[in-house]
Amino acid sequence: MVSITIDGKQIQVPEGTTVLRAAESADIKIPTLCDHPQLTPYGGCRLCLVEVEGARTLQPSCTLPVMPNMVVHTDTEKVTDARKFVLTLIFSERNHFCMYCQVSGGDCELQNAAYAEGMTHWPLQTNYSPFTVDASNPYFVIDNNRCILCRRCVRACAELVGNFTLGIEDRGANSVLVADLGNPIGESTCISCGTCVQVCPTGAIIDRQSAYNGREQDLTHIKSICTACSIGCGLNVLTRDNRVVRIDGDWDAQVNHGLLCAKGRFEPLVNDKERIATAMVRKGARMKAATTKEALNAAVNLIKAAEKDGAMVGAFITASASAEELHQFIQLFENVKNARYGTIGSIGYLQSMKTLALLAKIERESDLIRVTDSDCVLVIGADLILDHQVAGFMVKRNLPAGTKLILASNDDNQLAPFADAILDTKMGLVGALEDLVVVMAEKKTDLTSNAAKAAAYLKEAQSVGVIIGEIAVGSSTAKVLEAVTSLLDKLSSDGKTVKYITLKGQSNAYAAYLLGLDKPVDFHDLETVFVFQSEEILDQTFIQELETVPNLVVQSCYTNSLTAKAQVVFPSTIWAENQGSYINLEGKVQHSNQIIRPTESIPTLVETMQGLAKSLGSKVDSNWSDGLDRHKIVTVPKL
Amino acid sequence: MAKPKIASDWLAGCAGCHMSLLDIDERILQVLELADLRATPITDLKEPDESGVAVGILEGGINNSANEEVAHRMRSRCKVLVALGDCAVFGGIPAMRNFFTIEESLRRAYIETPSTDESGKIPSDPELAVPTKVRALNEVVDVDIFVPGCPPDADTIFYVLSELAQGRKPVLTDDKLQWH
Repeated sequence: MVSITIDGKQIQVPEGTTVLRAAESADIKIPTLCDHPQLTPYGGCRLCLVEVEGARTLQPSCTLPVMPNMVVHTDTEKVTDARKFVLTLIFSERNHFCMYCQVSGGDCELQNAAYAEGMTHWPLQTNYSPFTVDASNPYFVIDNNRCILCRRCVRACAELVGNFTLGIEDRGANSVLVADLGNPIGESTCISCGTCVQVCPTGAIIDRQSAYNGREQDLTHIKSICTACSIGCGLNVLTRDNRVVRIDGDWDAQVNHGLLCAKGRFEPLVNDKERIATAMVRKGARMKAATTKEALNAAVNLIKAAEKDGAMVGAFITASASAEELHQFIQLFENVKNARYGTIGSIGYLQSMKTLALLAKIERESDLIRVTDSDCVLVIGADLILDHQVAGFMVKRNLPAGTKLILASNDDNQLAPFADAILDTKMGLVGALEDLVVVMAEKKTDLTSNAAKAAAYLKEAQSVGVIIGEIAVGSSTAKVLEAVTSLLDKLSSDGKTVKYITLKGQSNAYAAYLLGLDKPVDFHDLETVFVFQSEEILDQTFIQELETVPNLVVQSCYTNSLTAKAQVVFPSTIWAENQGSYINLEGKVQHSNQIIRPTESIPTLVETMQGLAKSLGSKVDSNWSDGLDRHKIVTVPKL
Repeated sequence: MAKPKIASDWLAGCAGCHMSLLDIDERILQVLELADLRATPITDLKEPDESGVAVGILEGGINNSANEEVAHRMRSRCKVLVALGDCAVFGGIPAMRNFFTIEESLRRAYIETPSTDESGKIPSDPELAVPTKVRALNEVVDVDIFVPGCPPDADTIFYVLSELAQGRKPVLTDDKLQWH
């Protein structure tokens, strides 16, 4: 610990702490613009200058480490004069006229800093050089005229997301934010994760959806989770008048630490699909609008008729449904005669997680961040650019610091350009993995083959992280598992710290698996089928399987080819209108909160299932954790 | 003692700041008890007294030779000069045209606008003021008090006027300090 004095206050902080963080820990506020708690200090804006006794000049507190018995002053006239001067230079350099800026009035850190110094104007003449405005991205606009060159976006793009798209072109006052080598951002390597939008302190990067929709202080902030994949990223959702205005990553969330991909941040806000507003019941060739009660009666009659005739009933639910919904779905259909039920897309691949956990000597899966923070990361059968993108960010961002990435995948993997070694999968995934184990056992130092390169990286690494995608590919599943297992065992026996995690697919697929919905459903002879689809996009094969089913009951948010041929259709709430529990890929139980109220005529899946259960005389409850098969747990939390 | 005289005028602005001044409503009577409101765009007298005024208020930036003249005249005739509103303080909305050349701006305004027919032409007459780059008031004359805002809130204007009328220098902080 180091002892320093800031504004007369004695503070003890660990060695290596910056003066800025030390001041924060003692509730002394030093204004900054380029500093961001998630990013490495940069020292670019000079607003955080402080006076250090014995130092010749003012020092930037964000990059200055504490030294023993340092005496710092943050509010002397010299310091405040310097701050005003720094702000004057920033304001006069570009177009910082507040009256036509979207973030004015509380959301702009630059304006707030000027107000805090009591500035009524800036005394220097404004430089009226026009800079580029880049509106080529569908979700956000970059206006270099509002940019203060703090480089938060550049650092976020590199350090947090590992995408390295944003950079600064030219020097000094001519510096401009560019994507790649100066491409329009919409035609660049940008993946629209929007982290740059979230960290921008001014109106230089603004989100199209939320722009001019009110200041942050006037919006309602609700924390929730993303249900687009099994990572379950924490969200901070901003709403106004029962409408989602913006989605930010939650910096405090344990899972994603503020990161989001386009699927979580932007896509939910640009939905132009046709929403189903009321329940509908088929009358001959036409669908007629009905009350929820009428639709429930029609659906119950279909079940009763099927039970009477001894016909087969099928039921499918989205694996993105909450644990409460999955649990009540099971309770409802286990009491229906001749019913077969499961998830819409098969989650059978999750069974291999348990096999893997049993086969491998390492017992449980680890947390995502602990896997990605290894010296060498091996990604097997997953494309982290397409899916589970935030996991991809966590891998990619460590690469410049020397983490090696080894890829073993059957497909054209988009992670390939980032990989240090790509295993040759001409002989299949199994062959590639087996080959790697063999090469690792050999004492060759020849680095010509990819397997040899990978083996060398693995040999150098102290810790190895393994990310396993949907490895259950067809008949070779058992062999793939064996190959993965022998690789994991080989690594552990070589004395490496091995951490691994399997990607669980849809947001609540792991819960569905633990609740027993992982068995494949036989489509043969199904006559009455219930599909609790909600927002899930249906696979063509699933739609084809249901082609000849005479009685279809669908609960969906949007119209589609199934709702077009159904006998009964229920509208459904979207993620933001619903709430429930989710188990993420790490086994963490998280709650998705209701963010906006649905229209009164739109039920949640639970409400429909409860209505059906009531009419059928069966009991459903929301104690979903009672239904979990704890023997199947592969993650650390005990649930 | 005679009441201090206040004069105002508008330059390259939208008159919004003077509208906001009128928004002090009945409190203008309180101002009139303390001060003598002389030449303003909304009173009959159009030029500040040659004998001088205590407080001169200017709205708007300087965007032509006529504005320059008005600003210099006000500065020479007042003791305390107030820049009222964002255009006077920073250049404001009219200053957006500084990102283009004056020729481009004139061509856009008089020839290229959709409502202009083929006979569109840029006015040029020795009687007309010469357009210049748009400047904040303090780039042309010395300014004593800056009251930013687009427009400044009526409460802020009332505060500024009452302080000045009572011989004090207004200090804008918290709610009164708004740059938009």
